[in-house]
This record gives sequence, C-alpha cells and structure tokens, in this order.
Amino acid sequence: MKAIGAYLGVVWQILRKDIQVEWRGRQGLPVMLMFALMIVFLFNFALQLAPDVQAGLTSGLLWVSLAFASTLGLNRSISLERENNALDGLLLAPVDRSAIFFGKTLGNFCFTTLVGLLLLPVFSLFYGQNLLRAPLFLVMLLGLAAYTSLGTLLSALSIQARTRDVLLPVLLYPLALPILIAAVEASRGVLAEQPLSEMSSWIYLLLAGVLIFNAAGLLFFETILED
Amino acid sequence: MTFPPELLRIDVHGLVKRYHRHPVLNQLSLTINRGDFCLLVGDNGVGKTTLLRTLAGLVRPSQGAVTLYGADGPSNPLVRREIGYVGHQPMVYQDLSAYENLLHSARLYPLENREARISQALQALGLVAHQHQPVRTLSRGLLQRLSLARATLHQPSILLFDEPYTSLDQEAAGFLDRFLQNWHRPDRIILLAAHRPQRLLTLASHVAWLKDGRIDVHIPVSALAESPELNSYLGEVT
Amino acid sequence: MPKKPVALVVLDLLSLILVPLAMLIIIVYTPVEVVMGPVQKVFYFHISAAWAGMVCFILGAVGGAGYLLTRRIRWDWLSSAAIEVGLVFSIIAIFSGMIWARPIWNTWWVWDPRLTTTAIMTLIYLAYFILRAGVSTPEAQARLGAVFAILAALTVPLTFFSIRLFRTIHPVVIAPADRTGGAFSMSPRMLNTLLLSLLVFTVLLVDLVWRRVRLAQLEFEMTREVE
Repeated sequence: MKAIGAYLGVVWQILRKDIQVEWRGRQGLPVMLMFALMIVFLFNFALQLAPDVQAGLTSGLLWVSLAFASTLGLNRSISLERENNALDGLLLAPVDRSAIFFGKTLGNFCFTTLVGLLLLPVFSLFYGQNLLRAPLFLVMLLGLAAYTSLGTLLSALSIQARTRDVLLPVLLYPLALPILIAAVEASRGVLAEQPLSEMSSWIYLLLAGVLIFNAAGLLFFETILED
Repeated sequence: MTFPPELLRIDVHGLVKRYHRHPVLNQLSLTINRGDFCLLVGDNGVGKTTLLRTLAGLVRPSQGAVTLYGADGPSNPLVRREIGYVGHQPMVYQDLSAYENLLHSARLYPLENREARISQALQALGLVAHQHQPVRTLSRGLLQRLSLARATLHQPSILLFDEPYTSLDQEAAGFLDRFLQNWHRPDRIILLAAHRPQRLLTLASHVAWLKDGRIDVHIPVSALAESPELNSYLGEVT
Repeated sequence: MPKKPVALVVLDLLSLILVPLAMLIIIVYTPVEVVMGPVQKVFYFHISAAWAGMVCFILGAVGGAGYLLTRRIRWDWLSSAAIEVGLVFSIIAIFSGMIWARPIWNTWWVWDPRLTTTAIMTLIYLAYFILRAGVSTPEAQARLGAVFAILAALTVPLTFFSIRLFRTIHPVVIAPADRTGGAFSMSPRMLNTLLLSLLVFTVLLVDLVWRRVRLAQLEFEMTREVE
C-alpha cells in the first residue's frame, strides 16, 4: 500500500513540477496556443473555402491544430528534463520508472487540454458553430489522453537521437493517425448533433488507444530511457 | 523497508557494458567495503562515468551483476534510496529556485520532515542566502553545492561522485574537501572519480585504477608505495 | 566468409524459378477479368506484395521483442532486416496499386483502407530508419528500434480499422468505368493464381530477409576485425 502511495506521489510531484516550471516561465502554453491559431489562419487562407464548406471542416481543423500544437508541448516537456540532466534526478528516485511516464503524460495532457479548451470558443467564433458542448469535451479528453500518452512515449524516444526535435513529428504522426481519425470523426458527429451512440465505434477506438499507449508506457518507458 | 546496514557493500562481478562493438567495461569486478572512501582513477574516456552510472542504476549492464546490499542492486527502486549520485550536471531545473529544487527532490523520495531537512542541507552547504533565486543565476560553485545538497538530502549510505572537482576554484574545492571529510563515516561508502587524484590521497582510504575496461589495481592508500605503476600514474595526472 | 547454408541456396533457386513462373502463369493461364481487362492481373502481385509487407512488419516486431527480452544482437538483425525488406514490398504494393487504379478509376490513388494502410505502414517503416539513423550507438539503435517496431505493430490494426470505418462513412465516388468499386468475383483459376502468388512472395520474403540478416552478420563481424 505504501509503495502505491509512493508511486502516485511521484506521479503527482512530476505533474506539479511541470506546472510549476511552466508557471514560472510561462513560455510553453502561450506558444502552443499561438501556434494553433496560426494554423487556423494559415488553413483559412491556403484553402480559401466558401464559408459553408469551411464549417464542415471545423472538427478536422481543430484536431490538426491540436496535434501540431501538442508536438511543441511534447518537445518542450522532454527538453526540460534534458537541461542539466534533470531526468537523471528522476531516474535516481526510488520508484518504478513508469511513474515518470505517467507524470510526464499527465503534464502533457493537462497542457494540451488547456489549449484545446481555449480553442473551442475561438473556433465557435470563427466558424459560427457552438463547440462548447459536453460531448465534445468528452471526445477531446479521450482523444488527447490517447494522443499525449503516445506522444510522451515517442518524445522519450526522440530525445535520445541527435535529430531530437525534428524526429518527434516523424515518429508520432503515422502512429497517431487512427487516434486523429477517430477524434475528428467523433467530433464531427457531435457537431452534427448526432447522439453519442452513433459514434460508439470511434469512442471505442479512442479508448483502445488510451489503453494500448498507456500500457506501452508502463512496459517500455524504462527501456527507452535506460542508457 | 530498509536494508540492514551490515550488508552494505558494493559488489561488482563480471560487469560488461557495450555501446558499440568494443565494450567500455569488460568483465569488470570490484568490491568496495563499508567505510571505504575509494578514489576511482583512469584516463579520460576509459569508463569511469559508465561505471559510476551503472552503480547508480542509470546504466543497465550488458552483462554481469551489481549488488549493493547482498542480493539487491540499483535496479531495485528501494536500493536507490540509499544512493546519492553527483554527476557532471547538477540535475536541477533552471527556472526553479534552489529551495524548490530540493523540495521537489524531497517529495520524490519521499522524505519526512522535509522543511527541516531542506533547511539543514541549505545551511550545511552555505546556500541559505541564495535559496530563493532561480538556479540559472547561480555560479558554478554554488551549483555544485546545490548538487551536493540534492544528492545527500535523503542521507544515502552510498555516495557516488563523478569528477566533482572539475572547474571549481580554490575556495569551492576546499569546501568540497571538508564536505567529503564530514561525510566519510564507517557506515558509508564513497566512490569518487577524480581528475586530479593526488590531492585527495589524504582524504581517501583506497584507490582503484580503471584500465582497459577493468579494475587493474585496487589497494588501500597506505599500500601505494607497493604499487609503483599506480604511484607513477598518479604522479603523472596531477 | 561463412558458407551459405544449403537451405538458403535452395530458397535462392526456388525464388529464381518461382517468380518468373508465377508471372508466366498470370499472363498465360489466368483468365482476363471481364470488367477491368488485362490490367487487373497486377492485382496478384499487388496483394502478395502487400501481404509480404504485412508479414515483414510483424516479423520486425517479433525481432524487436526478441531483442528486448534477450538483448542478443541477432534479434536486432532480424528486426531491421525484416523492416527493410518489408519497406521494399510495401513500396511495390503501392506502385502496383497505383498502376491498377489508374486505368480503372481514372486516378492514381484511391483512399481505400488497404492501400492507405499500406502507405502509412511505409511511412512508419521510413520513420524507423530515420530513428535509427539519428541515434549514435548500435546498442541504442537496437533498443529504440525494437520499441518503435513493437509500438508500430500495435497501431497497425488500429489504423486499418479506423480507415475502414472512415471509408464506410465516407464512401469514395466511383468513376464511371467501374461500377463494382474494385471488387470482382474470382473464378477458381484466379483463386489458384492468387494462392500461388502469395506462396511465391512468402518464399521470396524468407529468402530476402535471411540474406539481409546474413549481411548484417557479416557487417558485424567485419567491425570486430577492424577493431
């Protein structure tokens, strides 16, 4: 029992520390948000769609922006541990190393979700749709839970390479594709006022993603970080 | 669950570590007893860092066994509670203060009486005046002290140092000398990789020479005269 | 240089005979499909190549798991060899798919689940090599490659299902030339030909992977001599 307490304590402390560092520097979140907004503008001008067509693309655009913005956050989160070799400090801790995975994943999840929640009213404004719906929050939480756990795992992988920052998108996007498809389709369904039962397959897919990637984190994180 | 102190001993058997084809550590064996303060010497790049990191649990051996308490080694999370490691980098977060970094560390272990322990550590290492500054503003000497504080906060029985005297000025080096002297006790082990080992011969109890992936010589400081090769090597590197 | 095992010599000969034989059979023995015409015959090698790519993918993951469990470099040879050969098969599958698609659907690309999954698998294979290229030590290449190969294998079913589900919701508009949507019923001769092609490609797969593993072994032994 005490061991579980110590484990959860480490997870919580890593999350707390990430939030504390972000609060101190305040560089990660604003950059992520700005990046997401820039993508929205970019797509708007690049695609030059008629307003009614644009509205149908909202869910796709939302998830593309989130996926890209999240990559910034993921890179930043793991780079933080590289500075001064802080990661070794975490590895020395008397706890199973998967706790580091869950701590970092939670941090990434929280930050990306925050960006997502901030994007919803912005999108509502730009595309004249109401994105502030409970089912959409649910889809967003599930989708980001799957995406950030995979992302955290792969960011630990990519940090070991010389090509570091550039490598993460290369590794992440092909593997995250099913999650993104499922998230976009489920979001689209919500915005089209379909009942959640219609989108059950997508929701199950997202759940499968959450389970698989967190299990992978539990299994592989230590192996990825060992020297 | 703590480990019986009588069992404390660094026991390395047949340790091999391979990154490329040619192993860095090649069938290395080493035993360091409780109460020893051992200097680890050897050329640059010979594998001192790899050995220390393996003992700390940061490097996984390709082959061989490392144990610190009888059957248990650094891969056992609970054993890591007894290890303090001071590496080349201070392992701290730039944007947080010294105090916050120590608090973070205290919570990871987790430690009881955190506030008391932290303020004790800050005092012992002369960091009280700088405790609330962001770490990025600290000088190399102060960063070193913070590193020491972080490594010893949980009162470990095994201290591993990787070339801690690098780029320290006279004053800081003297401080570290005194720190090591205080820390050296019969119920602890200190293993220190030294760039310039000569000056530490007064503090240490043993010397181990890492050569060609193995420990070539491992003798008490008092017996140095009987090992002319090691003696002259030590004379050269200073 | 170690002597080539007899089994491998046999495989080499078999491959050299079977591949042209299969091509001959496809041209002469197999009937021409009534709607699509002669170009449909690309199908046999297209499916077989996709199949071989998939098998290689799984083999890559198995090799990765083997390495992580045993830490013996032979498993890494298997893993990287399988993925390299799999990459080639996947590219063949994609190009043959494109050759088949063009006259039938008047487009070079169709977003059908199998083809799209193969394309994504190709991207993942490439990412695997980009990862290995970015890492400095052979030990890390093997270890990180293994984790990525296993992760990738885990996502492939997710990818396939998500795209297939996507296709059922968003069916592709079919060009006038083909009303069957790419499906056709197979006569017994066609079925036999398909089975033969699958067999031939399996033989080819084993032969190529084995040879690639031997190459890796030779490279390994060469570096030992250099040192």
